[in-house]
Amino acid sequence: MIELVDVKKRFGLKKVLQGVSFTAPRGAITCLTGLNGAGKTTILKAIMGLTPIQSGSIRIDGSAPHQAMYERIVYVSDQLTMPGRMRIADCFTFMQDYYRNWNSDRANELLARFQLNAADKVNSLSKGMAAKLNLLFGLAMDADYMLLDEPFSGVDIFSREEIAAVFSSEMVEGRGIILTTHEIKEIEHLLDYVVMLDHGRITKQFASEDMRMEEGKSVVDVMREVYKR
Amino acid sequence: MELLYNNRDPVYLQVVRHFKERIATGKLLSGDTIPSRRELAGQLGINPNTAQKAYKEMEEQGLIVTEGNSPSRITSDTVILGRIREELLTEAVDTFLASVNNIEVPAEQLLSLIRTRLEKKQASQSDQDLGEKGVT
Repeated sequence: MIELVDVKKRFGLKKVLQGVSFTAPRGAITCLTGLNGAGKTTILKAIMGLTPIQSGSIRIDGSAPHQAMYERIVYVSDQLTMPGRMRIADCFTFMQDYYRNWNSDRANELLARFQLNAADKVNSLSKGMAAKLNLLFGLAMDADYMLLDEPFSGVDIFSREEIAAVFSSEMVEGRGIILTTHEIKEIEHLLDYVVMLDHGRITKQFASEDMRMEEGKSVVDVMREVYKR
Repeated sequence: MELLYNNRDPVYLQVVRHFKERIATGKLLSGDTIPSRRELAGQLGINPNTAQKAYKEMEEQGLIVTEGNSPSRITSDTVILGRIREELLTEAVDTFLASVNNIEVPAEQLLSLIRTRLEKKQASQSDQDLGEKGVT
């Protein structure tokens, strides 16, 4: 379980996170959503220790994050960071050499699943293919938690479907997933928990099936209520 | 398997309903094995937790039975299976009645209208069937 308690973060005078508390259990998909500048990406970076927080606590499976623990968490940013001239096959070799928890079998399985070609150079990929490759690098790691920043952003509908299918597969089984997205409509049936943010504050958090059961509302319905000002 | 979700009803109940419809129409028979939780999630494009919840619900309703490590099966309890069709029909009729409630139509008129529409529909369907047979 990833647990945030009253996390506060400032960039200069700007308060980016104003006391954020939520938990993301293992074996479940938790979605952080909100309009631009709500603090979604900052939260992911804070969990990874990539940006310092001013106060509050972040705990992973009950303890404060430390170096060894970060091997069990994968962070996939919204940008593919591999050098453009590398072929996908070279990227795989690089990952294999540098990451102990790189799982080659799973990487190759995903390559086929996403219809990517190992001989292709990174800079020759379409936006959709690049997004799939980016996600592949995360999914191919043996890790307990995955933090995915906007996995659907700027991706064509067919690639979106292929990415969404990952979330109903054994690729995510037993892992804790936290993802951020704007494109909630198409994937809302896949989400276990939803955390809605607005200007660094949580405005609402709930289990999506409970929301449907108890109030007959979709996640999008709740978003309309929360963000309509 | 194709399943379109509406996002306002719990997904796991929609999955249960999907199974009931398949049972009621004879696509799933008593004793048939059903996919594993993992397979179902993949086939229906749902979260594995939701698939698990749907199976749990179906077990509680007695629709499926799981013995040991073998795959779950559709129950052989004919009483339970017989009730499914009735349950689905009653539910559909109730939804329909709720939707015409505001129009305040007398029962007799409503019933005769249903009969007319039903006959018309059946006639056009059998025309279509004949047409299709004629082509082949």
